[in-house]
Amino acid sequence: MNTSPRANKITLYIVMVVFALFFLLPLYVLFATALKSFSEVSASRMWNLPTIISGEGFAKALEKLLPNLLNSFYLVIPATAFSAILGSLNGYIFSKWKFKGSDIIFPIILFGMFIPYQSILPPLVRFLMSIKLYNSIPGLILTHTVYGLPITTLIFRTYYTEVPTEVVEAASIDGAGILGTYWRVLFPISLPGFVVVIIWQFTNIWNEFLFAIVITSSPAKQPITVALVNLAGSQIVEWNAQMAGALLAALPPVLIYILLGRYFLRGLLAGSVKG
Amino acid sequence: MIKERTKEKLISIGLVSPTVLAIGIFVYGFIGWTIKLSFSDWNTFAKLLKGKFKFVGLSNYIKLLFQDPRFPSDLWNTLFFTILFLLGCVTLGIILALLLDRGLKGSIIFQNIYLFPMAVAFVVTGTAWRWIFAPGISAYPQGINLLFSKLGLDALRWRWFVSIEHIGPFNLALIPVVIAATWQLSGYTMAMCLAGLRGIPSQLIEAAQVDGASGWQVFWGVKFPLLRPIILSAMIILGHISLKIFDLVFSMTGSGPNLAVDVPALYMFETTFERLRYARGAAIAIIMLIMVSFIIIPYLISSMKREAKK
Amino acid sequence: MAEVRLKDVNKTFGKVVAVKDFNLDIGDGEFIILVGPSGCGKTTTLRSIAGLEEVTAGEIYIGDRLVNDVPPKNRDIAMVFQNYALYPHMNVYKNMSFGLRLRKVPRPEIDKIVRRTADLLGIGELLDRKPKELSGGQRQRVALGRAIVRDPHVFLFDEPLSNLDAKLRITMRAELLDLHQRLKTTAIYVTHDQLEAMTMGDRIVVMNEGLIQQVDTPQKVYDHPINRYVAGFIGSPSMNFLPCTIVKGNGDLYAACKSYKLRIPQDKTKSLRDYIGKEAILGIRPEHIDTKDTITRKYDPESVFQASVWVIEPLGSEKLVHIKSEERILVARLDPHVDLKPGQMAEFIVKTDFIHIFDKETEKTIF
Repeated sequence: MNTSPRANKITLYIVMVVFALFFLLPLYVLFATALKSFSEVSASRMWNLPTIISGEGFAKALEKLLPNLLNSFYLVIPATAFSAILGSLNGYIFSKWKFKGSDIIFPIILFGMFIPYQSILPPLVRFLMSIKLYNSIPGLILTHTVYGLPITTLIFRTYYTEVPTEVVEAASIDGAGILGTYWRVLFPISLPGFVVVIIWQFTNIWNEFLFAIVITSSPAKQPITVALVNLAGSQIVEWNAQMAGALLAALPPVLIYILLGRYFLRGLLAGSVKG
Repeated sequence: MIKERTKEKLISIGLVSPTVLAIGIFVYGFIGWTIKLSFSDWNTFAKLLKGKFKFVGLSNYIKLLFQDPRFPSDLWNTLFFTILFLLGCVTLGIILALLLDRGLKGSIIFQNIYLFPMAVAFVVTGTAWRWIFAPGISAYPQGINLLFSKLGLDALRWRWFVSIEHIGPFNLALIPVVIAATWQLSGYTMAMCLAGLRGIPSQLIEAAQVDGASGWQVFWGVKFPLLRPIILSAMIILGHISLKIFDLVFSMTGSGPNLAVDVPALYMFETTFERLRYARGAAIAIIMLIMVSFIIIPYLISSMKREAKK
Repeated sequence: MAEVRLKDVNKTFGKVVAVKDFNLDIGDGEFIILVGPSGCGKTTTLRSIAGLEEVTAGEIYIGDRLVNDVPPKNRDIAMVFQNYALYPHMNVYKNMSFGLRLRKVPRPEIDKIVRRTADLLGIGELLDRKPKELSGGQRQRVALGRAIVRDPHVFLFDEPLSNLDAKLRITMRAELLDLHQRLKTTAIYVTHDQLEAMTMGDRIVVMNEGLIQQVDTPQKVYDHPINRYVAGFIGSPSMNFLPCTIVKGNGDLYAACKSYKLRIPQDKTKSLRDYIGKEAILGIRPEHIDTKDTITRKYDPESVFQASVWVIEPLGSEKLVHIKSEERILVARLDPHVDLKPGQMAEFIVKTDFIHIFDKETEKTIF
């Protein structure tokens, strides 16, 4: 070692800080502009901190985006709940009650989470129109529930594989059937699995854009992602409101990430099919 | 009297059948419909309403691939974007993972900073980086050009995603988009590599050190080979995302000048929902699906095989 | 309480034959042990009796009932798993009462049974604890308790002691035996440890590669192994095997090794009549080898051979001496105070009354 360990440490810290600056850069830009008053906002002062902190941007953004924020909540909560519950049951069967062909059916289901959704959009729209759910949040809920099934099934299957099969066999000998074993033995210990799935689904459904923009056409029904893009592309809305809007749109998933980051990471690791 | 065992099999099949049915219809059934659509000539709303199906074979595909100036350029853009994006994410991911693996005090804070962009929506990312990369005009620079100017680094100013410069078929305007995408997702590679590094038994590292290996040699000789499968897996996941990239480009740049930043997903969206040329859009979608399948199907097969071995 | 009968049971997994032509009658109240190395089919057999595996062919009877198509929960069996398989989210009381609750046994009844069993096993104080708060031995008792509470016709044990440390294992062995004597329930026990098999079973079933090798009481299996496999498997340190040729000399038969020969006892010569001049395998248990200095009885001078001492393992109660003879290593169990050093040449005496001869091709025991 030519350099002292301490010099090495300092170098490492400096490097980590430089990268951190890169990752925080957009955050700075968003906050610096969102917190400026209408009069102070301008392209030339983009990098300067606000001279006085103003809530005008947020107020305007909220005014325009509140209905869409609510739409996102109306969408995310049921869609997450449905896909989580079904995923849990599926994961249980695929990990503990393999039947003939289940080892082929499972990857066939998994493939569904990788497909480009463009390849199912035209028939999806036609289908939703035919059951009168086009341009509605319930239509989006149905969509996200169905297309969320592969990932939730995968996460739960990975989770339940960690539970020793003998526990299921012991329950079987003790007298519980398939559903009884799920309800009495596996469901009570599924909380970590549910937390991971709920965080994952909440984040992904909230942040999703393609389905949102295709399925909901009227601004009043659109989730926040679409509303933000419309807002940000508009010529007449001030920048501080636009950037405040971006922050509002990002807030709920980032909040969950800050509070429950550990589970977020677990979802990442489980969600990428191991190997 | 149904045998108890049969009853169990029926219940287990019954519990998963809603999902199997749903996926069967919403994934495979719909894909089939889109394929069928791509073989038709429904390229106006009127034709869609009439619902009469006329089979035109591969003509939509041929037109796309050989007679359309836009689609091949999209494919080149995808290639360029994917290569740079994977390079960026893997390199940055490994560097960050190595830094964090040192376990310096406060690493967890840095880890959270590097990872948080994954929780942000692509459209928010696109919006923020658009402001950063919007070049402004030479007298009144904006965004990062402004920052360069303030720092005395005028030489670095550029037209970014409005540029139409290119190296052969590769449009340089994609570079800011790559930067934004790498910002968003290098945390993923970092997390995977970090988990991988932590999974290396310390005795292996110690044995190498006792054998005389320097830090670099330990990395290339021990750590990197053990990380290779993880990196490969991350590249497959990120690679298939980059083939489908839509939200980010839509919110950040749109198609760009001279379609410099156009990608298949954008083209499909425009073709189907703005120009209402459904059959053509379906063909684009199916080509995207085929591209993704080439990556994902081998990946799924090898994952399942590996699991079966256990 | 019930007998268990297995008739022509076969189990294959795809191409792999795990259990072949398994026939066994287990008496009511018997403690029978399936013993063999990993992969011999003992666990598969046990799981088939439990109903956790479906047999490919054959019949299984519990009591008088053919149970092939009966699911585990209706076979009236209880099982103790190797890893205990306790329900992690339930405390000890709930773990033990689970089966009874499923059968809708009235609460006061459950309480009585659980507490009585817990006291019997010495875990009465632990009823509120969760599995993760218990030691290995305690968890094992809870697993036992869960099985006992069900009052089944048959207990099934799948290597229940293998996860315990050595000392605890010995204590638990004795406790299990004591329990069996008290409860008198038919018990089928699987283990790979031949010592466990010997000390615990009324009868033991030695298995290898899916087939039953021998079924008998432990002592009979020890004294009269039916083939070379059983002879080598039961007994630790295992039996010494030497190639030899059966020769005639001085009106007697001898097992001739390269540099020495051992006289075959008179009463056994008849069975070797067809082997004169042929090669065979000689088996000698370690405890049947003595040294000249420590032997206390009269011995046949034609049962002596020379060998060099290779390694000595003093166990305190005895010395295990590894000796080199004719390119083979033999193990002898000797008096703990015997004076031998590595490298030393010495004379060793075989108690030829107890030797075994095996057919070289079939490996079956001749005597």
